[in-house]
Amino acid sequence: MKQYVLQRFIQMIIILFGTSFIIFFLFAMLPGDYIDSNLSLTPERAQELKALYGLDQPMLQRYFTWLGNVFQGNLGYSLKHQESVTSLLNKYVWNSFIVALLALFLTWTIALLTGVLSAIKQYSLLDGIVTFFVFAAMSFPSFFISLLFIKWFGVDLKILPVGGMIDTGSNSTGFAYILEVGKHMILPVTILTLLSIGSLTRYFRTGMLEVIRQDYIRTARAKGLKESVVIFKHALKNAILPVITLLAFELPGLFSGAIIMEQIFNWPGVGRIQLESVSFRDYPVLMAFTLFLSCLTIIGNFLADVTYAAVDPRIRLK
Amino acid sequence: MNGGLGMKKGISGLILLIGLLLLLSACALSSSGDEETKDSEQKKDDVTVEKAEEKSYKATDLSVLPDKTKARKDTFVAGISAPGGVFLPYFYENGWDGNVTTPIFSPLVDLDKDGKPVPILAESWDTSKDQLTYTFHLRKNAKFSDGSPVTADDVAFTLTLLHDPAYTGYQDISLAEIKGGKEYKEGKAKSIEGIKVLDDQRIEITTEKVNAKALLILGGQVLSKAYYGKDYEYGKLDYLKELYSKPLGAGPYVFSKYVPGQEIRYTANGKYYNGKPKTENLIYKIIDKATSLQQFETGELDYASFPADDDTVGQLESLKFANVQVAPVNDYGLIYVNNTRPQFKDKEVRQALLYGMDRQKIVDVRFKGFGQVADVPVSPVSWAYDNEGVTQYEFDAKKAKELLDKAGWKIGENGIREKDGVQLKIRYLTADAEDAVIPIAKENYSDIGIQFEPEITDFNALVSKLSAKEYDFAAVSTSQILDPSDTVEDLSTDNPNNYVGYSNPKVDKLIQEGLGTLDIEKRKGLYHELYKEFTQDPPYILIHYRQSARAISGQIEGLVPDNYTGIGSSLPNISI
Repeated sequence: MKQYVLQRFIQMIIILFGTSFIIFFLFAMLPGDYIDSNLSLTPERAQELKALYGLDQPMLQRYFTWLGNVFQGNLGYSLKHQESVTSLLNKYVWNSFIVALLALFLTWTIALLTGVLSAIKQYSLLDGIVTFFVFAAMSFPSFFISLLFIKWFGVDLKILPVGGMIDTGSNSTGFAYILEVGKHMILPVTILTLLSIGSLTRYFRTGMLEVIRQDYIRTARAKGLKESVVIFKHALKNAILPVITLLAFELPGLFSGAIIMEQIFNWPGVGRIQLESVSFRDYPVLMAFTLFLSCLTIIGNFLADVTYAAVDPRIRLK
Repeated sequence: MNGGLGMKKGISGLILLIGLLLLLSACALSSSGDEETKDSEQKKDDVTVEKAEEKSYKATDLSVLPDKTKARKDTFVAGISAPGGVFLPYFYENGWDGNVTTPIFSPLVDLDKDGKPVPILAESWDTSKDQLTYTFHLRKNAKFSDGSPVTADDVAFTLTLLHDPAYTGYQDISLAEIKGGKEYKEGKAKSIEGIKVLDDQRIEITTEKVNAKALLILGGQVLSKAYYGKDYEYGKLDYLKELYSKPLGAGPYVFSKYVPGQEIRYTANGKYYNGKPKTENLIYKIIDKATSLQQFETGELDYASFPADDDTVGQLESLKFANVQVAPVNDYGLIYVNNTRPQFKDKEVRQALLYGMDRQKIVDVRFKGFGQVADVPVSPVSWAYDNEGVTQYEFDAKKAKELLDKAGWKIGENGIREKDGVQLKIRYLTADAEDAVIPIAKENYSDIGIQFEPEITDFNALVSKLSAKEYDFAAVSTSQILDPSDTVEDLSTDNPNNYVGYSNPKVDKLIQEGLGTLDIEKRKGLYHELYKEFTQDPPYILIHYRQSARAISGQIEGLVPDNYTGIGSSLPNISI
């Protein structure tokens, strides 16, 4: 097991390097840089600025300068925001995180329950209704359903705020502040949950269906175990194994920010920063954030493999 | 395309022009009693306004004001799009941060609603006979919000700072050509020869070339030397980063708090030279265009600006508590035509391209009655706008065919015109996937034997193709036009940013003359000449002037948004 973990760990480091290299060059090769998009600069001024920002150097040199800085813990300085990338991301990423975390928790809980329920009552009316609703929810375009909910709950009923994270001009602190943010979170979290619940429910349902047809479940039932014990103790454990991989993939999603949702709800998350950094070619932000997400993806994968090995002896034996 | 860059709102405006809030636009509200009337120009403006069909709707029922609005007795909330947090003029990289600095930092000179300079922190200014030397007379009672007076030293410091070799901001001070500026930047001189502090209230600045745009560059927002200059060393500006989030200026409002991604809060400045503003609190709330209407409807905002269309205007009107103004915006949309390509070299071909495209239809489809076909390269709100004697190029396929025939482009293979082995094919670059030009121009042009292929691309890619002159047609839009020269100067033959590849000696001369005098009346005549020449020998295809709808909550008084400063200039007068 130790060797397996070590092996995977070394692979992970190599992949990270490779990723950083590819990402850097892909972005650097996109046409136009931060200075180019400003058409009004005189060529002399543009040249001066490029020299000041180091954009006039050859690509390879820029990569190694950047890499060297990363090793010293310096992720760079945002051209657009004129502040260090670390403090910039730190300002916004947690706002995205709390929404994503809550949505993740809700999605998994609800999906687990509905998935299992519709599996054990396969082809029943309940199964039909659940299937219908989860498919309907995941089929709506997010901007449409967001705007619809804003109209219903924000404009017509006036029970929930239209957007933002706090009330305009609010100075609340402590518990009042938490309540206020909570109120603003209801709509974004609901919508994120609605959108992602569908596919997950299907995973749980399928996983469960496969397991309950197996012999050992019949044996368990034949032993006279209670149905709830059969389902939740014996079947569920095996049914959720494949889903570990899925959960690991959710890790980067917790930090990446939901671009459309954040935009519509004025949620001060990191999604907009990311989008802006692409359109303005703000390389330091773009690089730091993309690398951060790929790190999380790779770490998530690593964790999935290790957890898998831990919970499923069949994998370890190989 | 040079529009307004280097000034506050310009920077991001170039890129995103879809419904930008606070990228404020036309107004010419007739009730602006505090404006001095300028006889002859006033008349001109009235003509323009009528043409652009300005509409306004008054609030009819203040009792339906949302509770949130009614509850605000001393706070004014306006919408802003996406500020970034660098609240220092000349140093921010995001145009929205410029809007945030407007209430905090007042300039020496600003523009009025017609785009003409007006004194703010300067009481007045004189220019020498040769138009090279400017003397600014500062107001005696102008103070920074910490109580210290605004002096000529502060102005000198601000201008010197912009000449520092480490300065990376958007302001290209070299355009003002202050005497000795270059030497200072290169480290050959200890100070800038052309900047002379005469006494506390008077500063004299000598430039080397007459430039109509220099006044605004020189008379920009003033930074306090005591606050921003205490750690200044030549070639080192990093210390300023500490102060980006702690602005201090001489404007009507004092910065109090920035909640990232949410709002910026201000309080009234008791030290403001023109008296403390009537409304104690000001909030710029960050909103998204997708829901700004809902924000306004629920009373989260007192002021917002929307792209004009029937739905939005109708809905704003039906709220009953809003004063709505629909008016032209200070920019225009156009299609760059690469004059260096053999197909587009002849002016007859470019004329034919204008006649052959149904621009009225394009504008109608895109703006649904809230736009008009552009005829001269400046917005109808500018003092320079004059379309008398300008050919309108109304859609006329027959004329287009005649012109093409005359120029020697004959129908060849597959019905596409050709001449000397070159086919008349157009590749059209646009960053807008729903560009109304695509279907209409494709149909129009194929009727007259021109092949039109659209290519939807990312804006940066479009720009890089523009600067490499590797394009046929490219759709762009100007940012806010502060000076009529902004949009035309890159068309002069030797301008390095002449992406169109246009060359016309008469135009070169007129552009130079237009910049080479400070006399607005004279400039008007010159630009009119220039616009007439442009319709004879069109450099590119002008497409649209658009309109915006601005909504002001009914309980707000004294807010008169204009096309040059937005709500900036009326901030001190707002009352509830």
